[in-house]
Amino acid sequence: MREAVHVEKPYFLGTLREWLFTTDHKKIGILYFVTSFVVFLIAGLFGLLVRFEQSIPGFQFVDPKTYNYLLTGHGVGMLFWWAIAAHIGGFGNFLLPLMIGAKDVAFPRLNALSWWAFFAANVLFLMTLIPGNQIMTMWTGYPPFALNNDAGLTALYVFVVHLLGASSIATAVNFLVTYITMRAPGVTFFKTNLFVHTLIAANVIQLVGVPSLAGAVTMLFLDKYLGTNFFNPAKGGDPLIYQNIFWFYSHPVVYVQVLPVFGFYSEIIPVFARRPLFGYHSMILAVWGITAVSFFLWVHHMFVSGVPNWVRVLFSYTTLLIAVPTGIKIFNWMLTLYRGAIHFRSQMLYALGGVFMFLIGGLTGLPLGMVAIDLGVSDSLFVVGHFHYVLGMAITLGILGAVIHWFPLATGKFFPENIGKLSFWLIFAGANVFYFLQMVVGMLGNPRRYPDYPPIPEWTTLHVIQTIGALILGVGVLVFAYGIIKGLTSGQKAPENPWKSPSLEWKVGVPARAHGHGEHPPKVEPDWHPYRYDKEEILK
Amino acid sequence: MDVIALPYKWWAEARNVWLIVAVVIYLIVAIPGIYFIYKYRYKPGEREIGDHDFESHTGLEALLTVVPLLTVIILATYSFVIFKKIRTVPDGAMTIKVTAFMWGWQFDYLDENGKVIKTVVTGYHANDYNLQEFEKPVIPAGKPVRVLLTSMDVIHSFFVLPARITEDAVPGRTTYMWFQINKPGEYWVFCREYCGTGHSHMFSKLKVVPPEQFTAWLYGDKKAVAVKSEN
Repeated sequence: MREAVHVEKPYFLGTLREWLFTTDHKKIGILYFVTSFVVFLIAGLFGLLVRFEQSIPGFQFVDPKTYNYLLTGHGVGMLFWWAIAAHIGGFGNFLLPLMIGAKDVAFPRLNALSWWAFFAANVLFLMTLIPGNQIMTMWTGYPPFALNNDAGLTALYVFVVHLLGASSIATAVNFLVTYITMRAPGVTFFKTNLFVHTLIAANVIQLVGVPSLAGAVTMLFLDKYLGTNFFNPAKGGDPLIYQNIFWFYSHPVVYVQVLPVFGFYSEIIPVFARRPLFGYHSMILAVWGITAVSFFLWVHHMFVSGVPNWVRVLFSYTTLLIAVPTGIKIFNWMLTLYRGAIHFRSQMLYALGGVFMFLIGGLTGLPLGMVAIDLGVSDSLFVVGHFHYVLGMAITLGILGAVIHWFPLATGKFFPENIGKLSFWLIFAGANVFYFLQMVVGMLGNPRRYPDYPPIPEWTTLHVIQTIGALILGVGVLVFAYGIIKGLTSGQKAPENPWKSPSLEWKVGVPARAHGHGEHPPKVEPDWHPYRYDKEEILK
Repeated sequence: MDVIALPYKWWAEARNVWLIVAVVIYLIVAIPGIYFIYKYRYKPGEREIGDHDFESHTGLEALLTVVPLLTVIILATYSFVIFKKIRTVPDGAMTIKVTAFMWGWQFDYLDENGKVIKTVVTGYHANDYNLQEFEKPVIPAGKPVRVLLTSMDVIHSFFVLPARITEDAVPGRTTYMWFQINKPGEYWVFCREYCGTGHSHMFSKLKVVPPEQFTAWLYGDKKAVAVKSEN
């Protein structure tokens, strides 16, 4: 508390130069989040255009090539920016040192380098908007299609992955070292916030997995531009090698994407139920269980690709196994509500809505893991609807809830509560209409990645209603974006520790002091725990 | 006969089993969840702080691990049993070799010795879903058909909508699947593996006719086919 006497400039007041060349974890976190949020809006717009095109049979708004570009951009933008960088780069940077009582991350300059590599990838991504630079590989970049001229500039896709990969590996090393060596005395493994656990688990996956993805796309680049034959069957190559290497990382990456969001739920739900997180230990074991099992599931993306039958059955078992640790997490969130004193602040709505959507997403994942059913729905819109429940919405609701929750810490002001609630109900209602019917039309057989489809009446009806849902969802996201601006400009000033949480990030003031915990780690009492609350009145 | 197609019958059965299990699990989780959200609302003066004693319960947590574990093992094993039926080609199935290309398929009807009897090619129709009669592959009703799949360029797939079965067509490999349609008529076939500009117009219509009509078609008597094509 020594610093409290002299008034210091808030961390966010600085020149453009200070912002761009910063090594401060808080500023880097904000830079990551703002970039990701802008890409989220662009990729969301791409998604809406894709949705409009599918509303009725025929080509109305875009030609198939543009459609394929929009769909590729939607996938790449949402998965690599929004679903990874927003919470790992954004919230991870901002919160990790504060939650474990450290001064900053272990290697602040390496952290700045991560951000710059990430920013360079961003420039390449935006370059695809220039006519003639489109990539139509889809986010998966499967050869031999990616080697074909119809796929556009595969090189851009490869370099985006390389830059993001370099950035992710640097971040992963940085965060792991930070967590292992810089925790304040008393913050032990079983007294660490769930968000930190999930963040570290996600970065372990990144460290192990990203090199495999980088290798896959490097071979793609060599094949297309330098004439090698890794994936060319005519010269002894095999396109399925790519799928195996690609999914070896890109299946675990869904846990990179979703684990930190589980962390958000686990932070927000106890605070607003005013009750310790139920089964804290089993939650941690479940996180690490998911991390371990996540590397043994990848073939379920290749169930119809011609792999041997026994491999399909084996991976069917491992895939369904992941339901056990994820199930534990859902049960524990529900049991945290039991005998709570629940406040319905908007971030609590986001967290609970996210859990309910994740529950539906998990249950609709079962038939995709049950290989007998998957043979009939593989590559249909059912798959698309399913992963928009688990990845799309569970993640988006989690991140938006987290924005509201830590808005006072980052800005010193509250996110406008009414706008928070309104945006939640719009997004929640729109998304459920949209993605549920997408799964229904997929069950009826509608293939995915189709700009056009035959005039089958029930398909058209379902598509029209989906588009209405998507519009409501889009309006909800815009309302939320408006809430950020309104909160920044005219938000209500927040007091110290507004949610009355014992978690360490709230011990650095509101907004967070420029030097965070400073040189001296916060004093942690032996009976301290991040999820124990007292009777203090929480802000209504 | 009620069964319109195979493996659709088994697929639908497995899907229904999943649907029942999923709805039951959903209700088991969501009903208490919604009830807790309603019952344990913050109430000034009455419920201001949550319970801090019931933080964990080894027995309950073990139960909530073991029951899901058993459930998924049973589901996976059930799926294994169905999968075996779906992937085992019945004896006496006729064979069609399907070669995919951007954007269509070539259907080669093979005899027992692997010799091509007849070839049908479905071409690319960029703007509509109408096919000429000669572009439609014909198969006999009520007879199992084995499909051997490969591709000339990129990866495609072959999805028979009424049978709910898909398999990829991978260049340099031959993959297989089988299906059977019992009711004569015309049925959609789609490509479900992304293959570029023409992906959504890579389709065909499978013409299912009575066996005797099929034999006539296969060996060249075209008039016999024209008699009954819609049903």
